[in-house]
Amino acid sequence: MQRQLKKSISIAKRACFSSLRPSAAAAAAAENAPPQLPPFNYQPRPYNGPSADEVLAKRKRFLGPSILHFYQKPVNIVEGKMQYLFDESGRRYLDAFAGIVTVSCGHCHPEVLNAIIEQSKLLQHTTTIYLNHAMTDYAEALASKMPGNLKVVYFVNSGTEANELATLMARLYTGNLGMISLRNAYHGGSSGTLGLTAVSTWKYPVPEGNVHHIMNPDPYRGAFGADAQRYAKEVQDHIEYGSSGKVGGFIAETVQGVGGAIELAPGYLKLVYDIIRKVGGVCIADEVQTGFGRMGSHYWGFETQGVIPDIVTMAKGIGNGLPLGAVVTTPEIASVMAQKTQLNTFGGNPVCSAGGLAVLRVLDKEKRQAHCANVGSHLLDRLRSLMERHDIIGDVRGRGLMVGVELVTDRKEKTPAKDETLVVFEKLKDLGVLVGKGGLHGNVFRIKPPMCFTKDDADFVVDALDYALSKL
Amino acid sequence: MSVSLAKTRRLLPPRSQLLLWRRTFSRPALHAGRDPPSSLHLPPFDYSPPPYAGPTAEDILAKRREYLSPSIYHSYKSPVHIVEGKKQYLFDEKGRRYVDAFGGIATVCCGHCHPDVVEAIVNQTKKLQHSTVLYLNHAITDFAEALANKLPGNLKVVFFTNSGTEANELAMLMARMYTGCHDIISLRNAYHGNASGTMGATAQSVWKFNTVQSGVHHAVNPDPYRGIFGSDGEKYARDVQDIINFGTSGNVAAFICEPIQGVGGIIELAPGYLPAVYNTIKKAGGLFISDEVQAGFGRTGSHFWGFETQNVVPDIVTMAKSIGNGTPLGAVVTTPEIAEVLTRRSYFNTFAGNPVCTAAGLAVLKVIEKEHLQQNAHMVGFYLKERLTALKDKYELIGDVRGRGMMLGVELVTDRELKTPAKDETLNLMDQMKELGVLVGKGGYYGNVLRITPPLCFTKEDADFVADAMDLSLSGM
Repeated sequence: MQRQLKKSISIAKRACFSSLRPSAAAAAAAENAPPQLPPFNYQPRPYNGPSADEVLAKRKRFLGPSILHFYQKPVNIVEGKMQYLFDESGRRYLDAFAGIVTVSCGHCHPEVLNAIIEQSKLLQHTTTIYLNHAMTDYAEALASKMPGNLKVVYFVNSGTEANELATLMARLYTGNLGMISLRNAYHGGSSGTLGLTAVSTWKYPVPEGNVHHIMNPDPYRGAFGADAQRYAKEVQDHIEYGSSGKVGGFIAETVQGVGGAIELAPGYLKLVYDIIRKVGGVCIADEVQTGFGRMGSHYWGFETQGVIPDIVTMAKGIGNGLPLGAVVTTPEIASVMAQKTQLNTFGGNPVCSAGGLAVLRVLDKEKRQAHCANVGSHLLDRLRSLMERHDIIGDVRGRGLMVGVELVTDRKEKTPAKDETLVVFEKLKDLGVLVGKGGLHGNVFRIKPPMCFTKDDADFVVDALDYALSKL
Repeated sequence: MSVSLAKTRRLLPPRSQLLLWRRTFSRPALHAGRDPPSSLHLPPFDYSPPPYAGPTAEDILAKRREYLSPSIYHSYKSPVHIVEGKKQYLFDEKGRRYVDAFGGIATVCCGHCHPDVVEAIVNQTKKLQHSTVLYLNHAITDFAEALANKLPGNLKVVFFTNSGTEANELAMLMARMYTGCHDIISLRNAYHGNASGTMGATAQSVWKFNTVQSGVHHAVNPDPYRGIFGSDGEKYARDVQDIINFGTSGNVAAFICEPIQGVGGIIELAPGYLPAVYNTIKKAGGLFISDEVQAGFGRTGSHFWGFETQNVVPDIVTMAKSIGNGTPLGAVVTTPEIAEVLTRRSYFNTFAGNPVCTAAGLAVLKVIEKEHLQQNAHMVGFYLKERLTALKDKYELIGDVRGRGMMLGVELVTDRELKTPAKDETLNLMDQMKELGVLVGKGGYYGNVLRITPPLCFTKEDADFVADAMDLSLSGM
């Protein structure tokens, strides 16, 4: 492994790399055997389907050359149970990424399953042209989770659709076209949301409409550290110099997901929301990744910044994996949608609504928000200790079970340790931990597991990371 | 209803791929000029729903007003409260059965809660619901392969999405990148979705909000009933050439259309239109995108895909609705060459291609084949269309009966010459038919077209029931 690593790193980097020799304590840890998965009382069913190679071959043939996958030797995941996934040989992995922050209750959580199965047998789909209680029961329950006057709910099928709708509403309500999003944001992959998204990896060269990307209030890499005031002034400057003086809306994730688990500088949203509202704009909080208690301290990400948005978008965790998204806003803003007709054929279908309602109930019943706070703070503590022992860890950040670990080859320069991240990423998989990866340079581990993740699981992740880093 | 042996007729044009199906049907002509039935009886169905104990219609309406969009609408003055579905029937809170002649907007193709589809969903849901394509799983590849095999030529690469809107957005993005051009041409009266790009392609003011929708030009609709050139497809096609010559740089990204317009009121494109437009677009370097969201999956009866009825092979095909019998799923199928453009950056759709939806999609394809649903759509659809055409002979209010297979439209007009849309009468007729136990849809720019797009397991008895219900209702109007 070491020889391979040296081959792939340039001579210039090798000088830095030598300074990453593990400390004595870590060296001792490296001597030990690799950490073991916490016990789990479940045996997966024997798998008789196509092998990994067969699946990979078919993907290349039928799913296009652009399809992404993790790992040099991708994992063939055939079954899931709570916070664990199983591959074709029955090997268990700890899922520390939750299908990209999506499996909130746990894979195949029995209550969510039950709701889906019962509803599927009864009535799957008719659209909203007929009445059915599943959608309204769910809308009511979801609205009850929102503060302020946020109580009108639209159901869609994805985060992308939710953000498209939110943008439409903002523009119609204000009569202004200009949208502002943050550099390093991710909001979707359709024509409108591609404009809001601000990471070049995901931006195809197509017209994006009236969107401007503002300096990211990134406490770790941002020009102003954690100084929210100075970042907020950028928004003011843009409005005064880069717009007509009025804007349609401002959209942000409270913790940037794809961008590498970056929490916005504290106090930023309060300042910016004021600025935006003064010029007639609306404030959109993209809670696709941060919502539903994942942050631990609060149910919604925006609550950690002490603000109440005008429009909230959500998806991913909302349905534990069901294709579901939602937009919640105020009656005033919603009223603009009455100007024309809009129908989302699948949106609010009984099965997804029943599943969504079950998710809300499970998260409440199992007190997942408090659990995220608990396990999350334990995880962060342990990661911060790890950071003291491994220089390659440049930053540990996040809150609850929305955690990022950024690897750098030089703590001062913050040079992204892209190659090392890939190596450790693979190593973690070999040890049985599936984490995510993010950031423009792909050098941030995203640890965002199903919310049933335990302290033992957290310890396992950290031990595995320790072990993997020690082997670098 | 007496049954007489009908001559076995060659029902299809010679180039059709369908098998000849030897069945006897009572001749629709028997019903022409007959008095409407004095009473109607739903076709028998061996199922009684369990009693419903959930919220009432009033409760639900109140909650819709409070928690859902102010633009949410429902059919009928007195909305139907649907609690259960089975095959081509829906049940309300009192256990009353309705014939579902709308299919949840042409979406439920196998039938409500079809056991094979439900079983696939349930089995997969218990195993693994979601992990994303970042990991391997065979459900997505099995379905992609099966789907690709249903398409001709080099249409072999599949992208999954969660809806028709997402599928059309992706198709438009790919076409624009592949050609390096921004201009897309769609048809007036089209419906393609409601996101930023697709709202531009959609071409009915009622669905278009007052936002910037750039880069789409709308061509004269080759509408055989209302269009200026009647059924002369080639004359309409010249408008596309005009748009290219005068409205663009001379090169375009794509032409997109539904082979049969759904939301627009079940309008089949005038014969000869698509082949002519196809040539025009190709000369301008553009791609042809066929929106099969409503017409696909055997609904037209004569063919599996709507574009096959027009003798063209598209470059990109988009689909949704029927693809999953109601599960949120969409897809874009294109050639490897065009698919390659997405490698220029990264495209990712979190939910798309998830094991549950793809398992459902695969089950749908199997059911369509196993139960010969395409053939059934053809036979029963043909029969129903004949019955509806007979009603047109009887009632002045019916201006046009059109469509194919289980994608049928009945346009109501107060004046056959002027073709004045009979909007109120349409609403009235829908309501009456609902009272009699038939749920149909509504469409067309003027809202005066009844849309009949049932689950493809619809039977001849169901078709008779729909036609009889319409007959009875019209006789009272």
